[in-house]
Formats: sequence, C-alpha cells, structure tokens
Amino acid sequence: MDVIITISLLAILVLYLGLFKAAKALLPVTLVGLLVALGLTFNHWDLANNTKSIFSGMLLFNNFSVAFSALAIISTFLILMLSKDYFERISANVAEYYTIILFALTGIIIIASYHNLSMLFIGIEIMSVSLYILTGIKKRDYASNEAALKYFLMGAFSTGFLLFGITLLYGASGSFDLTEIRNYVASSEEISPIFYAGILLSIIGLCFKAGAAPFHFWTPDVYEGAPTLITAFMSTVVKTAVFAAFLRLFYISLSSVTLQEFWVPVLVVLASLSLLIGNITAVYQQHFKRMLAYSSISHVGYLLFALIALSSASDSAVFLYAAAYTIASIIAFAALMVVQKQVGNDSFDNFNGLGRKNPLLALTLTISMLSLAGIPLTAGFIGKFMMFTGALSTYHTALTVFAVLNAIVGVFYYLRVVVAMYFKDAERNELAVPVYFKIVLVVSTLATIIIGVYPGFIADLI
Amino acid sequence: MSLLSLLIFLPLAAGLLILVLPYAWQQRYKYVALAAVGIQVIMSAFIYLNFDGNAFSGIDAKSKYQLVEQVSWINLQLGRLGSLQIDYFLGIDGLSMPFLVLSSVVMFIAVLSSWEIKTNLKGYFALLMLLNTAIMGVFCALDFFLFYIFYELMLLPLYFLIGMWGGARREYAAIKFFLYTLFGSVFMLLVIIGLYFSVQDPITGNHTFNMLHMMNPDNYIPGSIFSALAEQQIFGIPARLLGFIVLFIAFAIKVPIVPLHTWLPDAHVEAPTPVSIILAGILLKIGGYGILRICMSIFPDAAIDSAWWLGLIGVVSIIYGALNALAQNDLKRMIAYSSVSHMGFVLLGIASITAEGISGAMLQMISHGFLSTMLFFLVGVIYNRVHSRYIHDFRGLALIMPKYTTFIMIAFFASLGLPGFSAFIAEAFSLIGAFTSESVNGLLPRWMAICGSIGILLSAAYLLWTLQRMFFGKTRLMGGEDWKSKLTDVNGREIFVLTSLTVFALLLGILPSLAFDKMNASVLELIRLVNLK
Amino acid sequence: MEAQSTPVSYLPIIFQMIVALGFVVTTMIATHLLGPKRKTKDKLTPFESGIEVIGNARQPFSIKYFLVAILFVLFDIEVIFMYPWAVNFREMGMEGLIEMFIFMGTLLLGFIYIIKKKALDWE
Repeated sequence: MDVIITISLLAILVLYLGLFKAAKALLPVTLVGLLVALGLTFNHWDLANNTKSIFSGMLLFNNFSVAFSALAIISTFLILMLSKDYFERISANVAEYYTIILFALTGIIIIASYHNLSMLFIGIEIMSVSLYILTGIKKRDYASNEAALKYFLMGAFSTGFLLFGITLLYGASGSFDLTEIRNYVASSEEISPIFYAGILLSIIGLCFKAGAAPFHFWTPDVYEGAPTLITAFMSTVVKTAVFAAFLRLFYISLSSVTLQEFWVPVLVVLASLSLLIGNITAVYQQHFKRMLAYSSISHVGYLLFALIALSSASDSAVFLYAAAYTIASIIAFAALMVVQKQVGNDSFDNFNGLGRKNPLLALTLTISMLSLAGIPLTAGFIGKFMMFTGALSTYHTALTVFAVLNAIVGVFYYLRVVVAMYFKDAERNELAVPVYFKIVLVVSTLATIIIGVYPGFIADLI
Repeated sequence: MSLLSLLIFLPLAAGLLILVLPYAWQQRYKYVALAAVGIQVIMSAFIYLNFDGNAFSGIDAKSKYQLVEQVSWINLQLGRLGSLQIDYFLGIDGLSMPFLVLSSVVMFIAVLSSWEIKTNLKGYFALLMLLNTAIMGVFCALDFFLFYIFYELMLLPLYFLIGMWGGARREYAAIKFFLYTLFGSVFMLLVIIGLYFSVQDPITGNHTFNMLHMMNPDNYIPGSIFSALAEQQIFGIPARLLGFIVLFIAFAIKVPIVPLHTWLPDAHVEAPTPVSIILAGILLKIGGYGILRICMSIFPDAAIDSAWWLGLIGVVSIIYGALNALAQNDLKRMIAYSSVSHMGFVLLGIASITAEGISGAMLQMISHGFLSTMLFFLVGVIYNRVHSRYIHDFRGLALIMPKYTTFIMIAFFASLGLPGFSAFIAEAFSLIGAFTSESVNGLLPRWMAICGSIGILLSAAYLLWTLQRMFFGKTRLMGGEDWKSKLTDVNGREIFVLTSLTVFALLLGILPSLAFDKMNASVLELIRLVNLK
Repeated sequence: MEAQSTPVSYLPIIFQMIVALGFVVTTMIATHLLGPKRKTKDKLTPFESGIEVIGNARQPFSIKYFLVAILFVLFDIEVIFMYPWAVNFREMGMEGLIEMFIFMGTLLLGFIYIIKKKALDWE
C-alpha cells in the first residue's frame, strides 16, 4: 500500500528536516510529498472496480478508497497551504506539527480503505491520538488545553464504545473481516443478540467521532479551543474519514434487510437530532467559529441521510456531500484565520464592511456560505440534492421535510456573515490576505462552483 | 448555440466583462449593461416576429416548441435509483414567448433607470446581469431541474441588490424576501424529486426531470408516488393534491397571493427603483407563469379540484390588495399593494380554466409588467429628486411638473383599466372567464367575478384619490422652496422610457391580437390538457 | 431431571446471591457497630515502614522522570514484537529478516530523534 507508506515516510522525513534545522523546507517538502501521494492514489483507480484486498484481507483499496483518500489528501494539502507562518507563532516545534498532521492523514487513509475491523480501530486510533495532541499545541492557551483534555477524555471514551462494538460483532460472527461478517449475517438463521448490541455500540462510537447529536457535546468547545487550522482539519478531513468508515462498515457488512430494520430507525433519530440541535444552536451564536462548529453538527445530520437510504448510490452521495462541505469549510476557515489574526476576534461584527475593503475574501466567503447553505449552482446544493433524493427514494418523507425546514434555518445563519460583510458598513482597514491564502480561496471557490454546475466529473470517480 | 442560449447567457457575459473592466471605467459599466440588454430586446423582438403562434402551441409536445435545444447536462449513475439524468432543455411556446419580450423590455428600462445608482457600480451591474440571465432561463427552461436552478439563481442577485443598494430597512427586507421565497422553493424541490421518481422517459426508460414527460399521465410508473392511478397518500392527503399545493404555494409566494404577500411591500419599499421595476415587472409574473406552466400542466386533476380555492384566493387578493393600497401614505407602498390586487386578476383568470380567463390572465401579466414598470419608474423619478415618497408631502405637482403629471395620469388611468389601455382588455377577459366558468365548466361561482369587478372600482378609487392629493390644487411641498427647485420636470431619458412604455400599453390595449395571436393556440392546448386529465 | 429449565429453577441461585450479599453486608454493619473505636494520632498517620512522614506526598516532580519512564515503556514494549519473530525465525526466513530490519530501522530513527531532541539529557 504505497500511499500509506509514502505518507508515513514523508512524516518521518519532515520530522528529520525539523531536526536538522531546515525550517524553510518543511512546508514545500510536505506539499510535494502530498502531491506524490495523491498521484499514487490515483494510480490505484480502477475503471472496472474489481480490486483485490491486500495484506491478507486487511485493506481493500478500491475506487471508494481512492476517492475518499484523494479528497483527504487534497483537503490536507489546501489546509496546509494555510499553515505558512501559522505554526511558527505557536512554538518552535513546527516540524512536529506537520509530522503529526501527516500521521493523522495516514490513519485517515487506513480508515478509508480498511477491510477488517481491527484496521478500522487502528486507523481511528492513529488519527485520534494525533488529533488529541494537535488540539493542545497552544500550550499557554487555557482554551486549547481544555479542548485537548476534553477531546482526549471523550475520544478515549468513544473509542472504548467502538472497540466494544467491534468485539461484540466479532463475538457473534467469529471474524473481523467485513465480508465474513456479511456472510455470517446472510447464512445464519437467527442473528445473535450480541450482534445487535455490537451494531449499536459501533454506531455510538462512530457517531462520537463524527460529532452527531446526542454525542456532539464535545464538538463546540473542542472546535473553538483548538487552533483554527486544526479545527479546519478536524471538521473537514476527519469527519469525511469517519463517514467513509461508517459507510464501508454498513454497506459491506450490515446492509441486509433485517439488519436495516434494526439500525435505520436509530440513525433516523440521530440524524433528526443532529439537524435540530446543530441548526437551532447555530442560530444563537455570535461568533463565526462557534457557528461553524454547531453547523458542522447539522451537516453530520445530512450526511447520515446517505446511510439511512443505504444503496449503491450512497457512496457517491456521501462523497459529493463531503467534498462540497470540506471545500466550503476550508474557505470559511481560511477567511476566519485572516480575520482572527488581524482583528483578534471572530464575532460577526468584525466582518462588517469586509465586502468593500476585501472584495475577493468577501466574495469567496459568500460563495462558501451559499454552498454550506445549499443554494443551487454551488457544490453544497448538489450534495443536499443527492441526500434528499436518496431519502425520498426510500420513502423517508417526514424526515426529508424536517431536513428541508432545517435547511431554511441554515440559510438564515449562514447569511448572517454575508449580511455583515455586505450590508453593514464599518470603518475598517483592508485586511492583508497572503498569497497562499488567495490561492486556496480561489481554487476552492472555483471547485465549489464547478462541482455545482457540473457534478459529473467528480461523482464518477467512485 | 441557439438563439435562446444566446439570450440567456449574453447578459452573463456582459456581467463578467463588467467584473474584469478596471474601476477607472466605472461610468461606462452602465453602457455595457445597456448594450447587452439592448441586444436582448432586439433578439426578443426577432423571436417575437418569427414566432408562429399556431404552429408552436407547445405545452406537452416537444415538437410544438420553437427553438428547442436539448443537451445532456448532468448524468450520474446512482445504482439502484437508476441514472440521474438532467438535460439542458430549452424551448418556447405561446406561454413563454411573450414573457421573453416583456422581460427584455423591462430589463432595458431597469438598466436605464439605474442611472441613479451611485455606489459600487461594478457589483451592481454584475448582479443585475446575473439576475437577467436567471430570468431569461426561467422562462425558457423545460427541464424541471434546470428551471429550479434558474428559479433559485434569481434569488441571490435580488437579495444582494435589495440588501446593498436598498433603503433604511434593507437588511430586514432582503432576508425576509429571501427566506419567504426559499421556503416555497425548497419544498418545490421535494416535489421535483418526487416527480422524478414517478416519471419515466418513455424512450430510454430512465427517470427524468423533463417537464413535458411529467405532463403525460402515461409516463408515470404504476404505483409511484405521483401516479394518478395509484392514489398514494402522504400525511393523509392525496399525493397529487399535496404536490399541486406545494408547487402552488411556491409560485404563489412570488405572485403574491394574500396571506403570503407580506414580503412584497417591504421588498418594494426598500429596493432601489430598478430593482422594484424588475420585481414588479418580471418577478411577479414568474409566479403566474409557473402556475400555468407547471402546476396546471403537471397536476391538471388537482388543479381542477382546487380551482374554487384558487379563485377565492384571487378574489381575496384583489379586494385585500386594493383596500390596503387605499390606506397607504407611501406612494411606493401603495403601488406595491396595487400589484397584489392586479395579480389577483391573474389568479382569478387562471382558476377559471377557460380560454378567455387564461388569455386574460396572460395579458394581465404582460400589461401589468409594463404598467407597474412605468409606475415604479415614476415613483423613482420624484424619489430621486427629493428623497421622499410620502403622498402627503406633495401637493399640486401638476403646476411644477406638467409633463410628469401627464405621464402619471396615463399610468394611473391605464392601471385602473381605462378602455384603450392593455389593462382594460386583460381585466375584462379575466372577469369574463371567471363569469362564464360557471356555465362552461362549473368551477367558479359567478359571485367571484362580481367581487373581482369591485376590485376595479377600488383601484379607481385609490389611484384617483392619490392623483388628486398629490398633483392637483395649489403647490405645497414638504421641503418648501428647496424641493421646488429640485423637482425639475422629466428629462429626455425619462421621457424616452415613459413614452415607450405608454406605447406598449396602448398598443396592447388597441390591438390585443398582437399578443393573443401568439398565445391563443397554447392557451387552448393547455385547456385541452387540463380537461383531459 | 427435566430438560426444560423454567425461571423458577433459577430461584436457588437468587437465594444463594442474597445470602452471599447479605452475609457481607451484615458482617460489615455488625463489626462497625460492635467493634471498639479508639482513634489515636498514630493510627491516622500513613504507614511508611515505621518512619515518620516528611512533607506532602503530592509534590510536583521533574517532568524528566516522566519522560524517561514513557520512553522506557515505549522501547520496552517494542521488544515484545521481537519474541514471536525470534521463535519463528527459520520459518520466516530472509523476508522476515528484512521486515524486522525495517522495523528496527524505524525504531532507530525514533531513537535518533529522541537523542537529537536531547530528551535523554538530564541537564
């Protein structure tokens, strides 16, 4: 599995670059390495989609994995482009930060390509442990410390749930292998009750990681306390990875009709709760970052739709939605970082009058907000459209109507920042937007619009 | 690239051109925009002249549409759900063609009245051109998904145009307008998806968003949610009726009908003049067009079942709008409410499902398009000069602005339905339709037509009363001598706009066949389709 | 003995549990009530090999101890992986040897990193 190896070696290389005081080379080397990994990822893309599993059935790197790995690598690439001069302000251990991010990415790629529940667990752990550290890198910042501790405790707790779930699935089916578990479900007359308990516990564990309500309570504090760059990473790449894991487990192993009767109602409740709590609390936020944190909970709700309407179309639905959400969030976080750095505070009032002084920043942020809100001709709309289509095709009408009402609430709070930027005037200076940021903003905005107008070219990837 | 695509994307190109032009050329942006819409006017005139109303009756047959353009656009394989097939599918028939002419003319006038905009010209004209693209797209689209995209695309530029260049409470008005319309349209999206799952392309067997296929009951998959035979229910309401109601509400918010009209006065009052012109002149018509093109054609059975209610809503809008207009002291607000009242006739005419009624409704939309444009332009003229629109701030304007007064008299009399102007024919036809409906198809009771005519009386009352209060008598102005010097009479550009609108209103009033000839066949075809059910 | 067990047949187990729990609870309460209580100062001090306690046990100590302890555990644990390899040395052959060297190389890289970072320097 060359992608995983490449990224791990890259991480060690970056670590040693830091050791030998090559601070200038860190970012370029990381970015180039990621590009190489991206190329290797696409190398695995197989038109016929009949990939064999590798490492004695531990991993299966099929088109699904290619798509999600590519998304994770590209997002990490974009996020790391925002990191120029960012870590230097925190401490001198810049190389370690890059290394840990790369380790987290390794975990994510394992998650996107596991074919054995033990690999799922290992992947999630590699990712999570890295994130615990990254959350707390601002050693002198009280909020960052609190976030790290909270995240660590909650995360360890939820991993416990997941592990227990995996154990029970193993206990009932006698295997960690996804296909074996499916065979167990298909062949056994009566499915053991501990299998159901296992499903429930895995759902809880994964929902913890994804931040779905009612397992979301760590999200706002952690997202707010963590350094913004890390928050961007957590709320985009990590969420996407968890959903890839979710989808893989449920689609390969647990998609039989009898099992669906069991877990679909559970997920319906979780999705509705996530939508409701995420959207309603987001409306009341006065700070942009916290608003994004709560809105990310609601996006988990929409993503769960794909699982509720599980079919072979679910993977492209999740992929489109996750891509749209990730790209739009990266723009939002990039803008947030600019504002935070130069104004010091991210309340909505600090965006006033930005439309006049920083037209590019304001325009891209507007498009990202529209995409998150799901307005047509942006990627977010296509994502939502796919989700609703799926849900309606399985006759979840009430849930869809509920989601649509929530989408309207979403428009209201996403537009608040747009209102602040364009409709309210304020005496302010132009914010300096570094070139790297400009590249990220423009590229992501273009991607958002291109996916919105012509979604075919990335949806066909899976 | 066909004529319709050109018509749609020309303004977009102009908008992009404006975006890349340097700031130093600020004063020339408007000429770029004007050139684009000017070409559009010429193109739409060309389309009008070449349109054969009898051959292209349209509605549910692709062969009967003119300038058809169909290209595959989004094509996603969705496994069990089949492939998601969305076409870029354009075409015009007698229902949509008149609106292309109307839109391009109104847009031209909106650009001409944008001379008053002074700030952030780049953004303004770019958004205006984007809006123009969306509007043209809505009238041409025959694929429901494409229609929805254009329909939603209209929202954004309008939101910014109201919010950034509007009056004191613009923020409130903009978000209210946005949420109102969005509320209607997202539920429309659900119905679109439902229809998509119910309808099959007869040739390829795929699910389809093609509106024309949705109009044919044979294309519905047996047992699907919107199949007429399956009689499915959602939340205890027959699915087809619910689908009709949801679509109707989405469009009715645009029309607007009375309980859902509260965004309109706010949006109109806060919007700058050109945006008010577009709102009243085109946007409201999209509601009526949507009801005809989509609600009636796709759910004819439900349309007949709920015709009585549609008629009732129409009558209530007529009376309620007129009474409200009577009570306003802001001139722009009064005109906004008069729009509600006039659009009530459209609904009444549509509800009758008679040839007279629907033709009347169509003509009323076109006529109101020109007249409301004229009215809002006229309001803009005085607001620009003294920044007040309150009726009681002015008195005896006729003495200092004689030409202006002439135009406003023309506009007022045309609006209240003076014979010889387009509104007279239109309202007469709508009412005749409503009146004969009882004997033709028994859908609307006669009292609705009678109540509708009371609306005409009321509109005469508020218009004439306003005329008397503002323009006649001794000149007395709120701002005294200062205002007197500022209130100069209309200039050449304004005379050009007003005269041309007067000519349109008169032409349609004297020669209504100019419009009727082009749309008659389509109207008859629509009625045939509805009665077929 | 009947083949089918009914809930009633579990009754003895419940009794057993009640008795067991009851015995514990009763004896605890009984000793608490019956036993003599003499609290002296010596009895309340923590017992440390008969030597009197100096200061508070919860003192901050140098993080270096912790670091060294963690590093020790890390490298100690890695040795575990070498045992199964050593046992199956012949079966795994050359391939196993190479893989083990890669593993050791990675470990070595970590070790060099630690030394370079001066994590083991006491001063």
